[in-house]
Amino acid sequence: MIKRRKSKLSWVRSRVAPIFLLAVVSAATAQQQVGQLEGELRLNGKETWKAFDPVREVLQKSSAVIYDGWKSIAYGVIVSSDGYLVTKASEIEGVKELSVRVNREHFKKVKVVSSTVEWDVALLKVEAQGLPVIEWAEPEPTHGTWVVSNGSTTRRDRRLRVGIISANARKVGEGRAPVVLGVTLDTSGEEEGLPVKEVQEDSGASEAGLKSGDVILEMEGREVRSMKDLQELLGSKEPGDKIQIRLKREGEDVELEVELKRRESVFEEKKTRNDAMSGRVSKRRSDFPRVLQTDLPLSVRSVGGPLLNLEGHCVGMNIARANRCETFAIPAKELLAIVSLLTTGEESGSGAE
Amino acid sequence: MKQRCLLGSWFPHLAVYLMFGSCLVCAAEEAGKDRQYFNEKEAPENLRDLRNIQKALQETLPQARAATVSIDLGGGSGSGVIVSGEGLVLTAAHVSAGVGKEMTVIMEDGTRHKAISLGLVASTDAAMVQIEEEGVFPYVKLDREDSTSLGDWVYALGHSGGFEKDRGVGVRIGRLVRMAEETINSDCNLIGGDSGGPLFNMKGRLIGIHSRVGASLEQNMHVPLREFLKNWDAMLDKKFVGKGPFAQEAVAFLGVSTEDREEGGVVIKVVGDETPAAEAGLLEGDVILTLNGEELEGAVQFSASLKLFKPGEKVKLKILRDDKEKEIEVELGEK
Repeated sequence: MIKRRKSKLSWVRSRVAPIFLLAVVSAATAQQQVGQLEGELRLNGKETWKAFDPVREVLQKSSAVIYDGWKSIAYGVIVSSDGYLVTKASEIEGVKELSVRVNREHFKKVKVVSSTVEWDVALLKVEAQGLPVIEWAEPEPTHGTWVVSNGSTTRRDRRLRVGIISANARKVGEGRAPVVLGVTLDTSGEEEGLPVKEVQEDSGASEAGLKSGDVILEMEGREVRSMKDLQELLGSKEPGDKIQIRLKREGEDVELEVELKRRESVFEEKKTRNDAMSGRVSKRRSDFPRVLQTDLPLSVRSVGGPLLNLEGHCVGMNIARANRCETFAIPAKELLAIVSLLTTGEESGSGAE
Repeated sequence: MKQRCLLGSWFPHLAVYLMFGSCLVCAAEEAGKDRQYFNEKEAPENLRDLRNIQKALQETLPQARAATVSIDLGGGSGSGVIVSGEGLVLTAAHVSAGVGKEMTVIMEDGTRHKAISLGLVASTDAAMVQIEEEGVFPYVKLDREDSTSLGDWVYALGHSGGFEKDRGVGVRIGRLVRMAEETINSDCNLIGGDSGGPLFNMKGRLIGIHSRVGASLEQNMHVPLREFLKNWDAMLDKKFVGKGPFAQEAVAFLGVSTEDREEGGVVIKVVGDETPAAEAGLLEGDVILTLNGEELEGAVQFSASLKLFKPGEKVKLKILRDDKEKEIEVELGEK
């Protein structure tokens, strides 16, 4: 028996691991008499949730459930009584049968008004009057503050998940542009322009016919000499935008048009050991300008809804399930600015219906 | 019914302390033994209960955060918690991974301190580390009375995934969901890098150290503090307590491969580069006759005898080189 345990734990001492990992063990370790707390009484158990019922009522009235056909795929925050709401953009991209439920009312006609890939937020519109608008919390919640958000749902009732604010609000990721051409570049800088090393499959670059060995000279008529130039140009773009590229191929000048796609849909992320113990995580879970971090155990399909405090006021919007113990939310202050940007239509998205 | 529970566990404590006089009442309060009312309820009943849990957590969190550290081992990292002003740190055995190892302790603000591992308990994943630099460090108090029980509200701290200055220490809330002698489980979610980090009750007293997780989100396992208290002196004394699976005792290492020799002793076939043997001047072809006076009969016996020593110990070898006997002292290394 000792041998069996040993083998399960052996990798804990691995020297190559970049991060010291917790051992993953099966439930059946100790055989001694132990007490266990019933599921209903746990942090996210039915009995514990009862204490949060006044907050659940707020979710019932002023959170939105987003559906693809019959399947719920995300939640949304209602920001105006006449039917504007925001949700996580990457979760609704390309969805054919978009519909929205608020409380017990089902809206089958949904318009995607605009979106911002920088924050991964989309503004939706349904034909409605007198929807209960979320109330905004002030000031920003500190470490250890209870937070409540949508969990699973039925057609009639919103359920919840509870947790706390876990860490400092901050920028996450390396500030890379959220959209890509789909190429890896030689950045040694020895040549003029940016030589293409590899072209990613199913990317805008491969669809436009870019080839390894091409040297990108100009994008949208502007010279590109470094990754920085490229990132700056892509930083203000949305998925679906098309970019004119002038490149050199075997001595010839070639002009192409490349459609930009979301980074996470083109480049596969390397899975870490911490990812392996995290279950499913959001496809887009990094590169946000500023987030709150919570310990809410959300599923990837429970993101996009409001993050509430015990007063039922909105402190943010859940934007990504990042790993086993980290869920990110856009803080209320930033979300309000995003909503105002999206409603004035300065940034326009796909406009698909 | 809940009322009865509440009284049932308040009265015995009160009775005991009152019997011992008023001084001990103060002492008991100081020790934080009287239980918080929300832990006497099966589940919180309303927003007031929730706010009291939040308040208790937030009052004790600043000190708990200040004392929670990341432990950088070069090739990886874990967490730990300072439990004395002089910089004694509790962590997991699979983080310190041995006795007398050098590592770096990182405070939440990014300040780095040199540290060395003291003893550990290999069977239950308990370990101690000492910050070597002098200073006055922020520390947390221990729940020496083992006052928690199943269902109590707790919180976990740790540097999940390694030190990140902008993020700082991560805090997670939960309840004690399983209590066994050598392991307690909570539903505070843990991940790699949290290993060795602290679990607190809602009075900010240390009750356990993070060890491992199961496949489900609700299987987060901690070494109970009593396991540390039980082995406190041995760990302070740099002892390697128990056998596996969380740490392997270091094996002494000489750095030669040898063959049997008909006339007795062993012949050195290879001397490894940058090994203790090379440093001591052992050469290929040397014959080792004795190890600390013990006559050598063959390569197998020699290798078994070496294993009885610890890294850092010095051994005397009598060798035969160019038909001349010679004594060589070697400080053994670590494999």
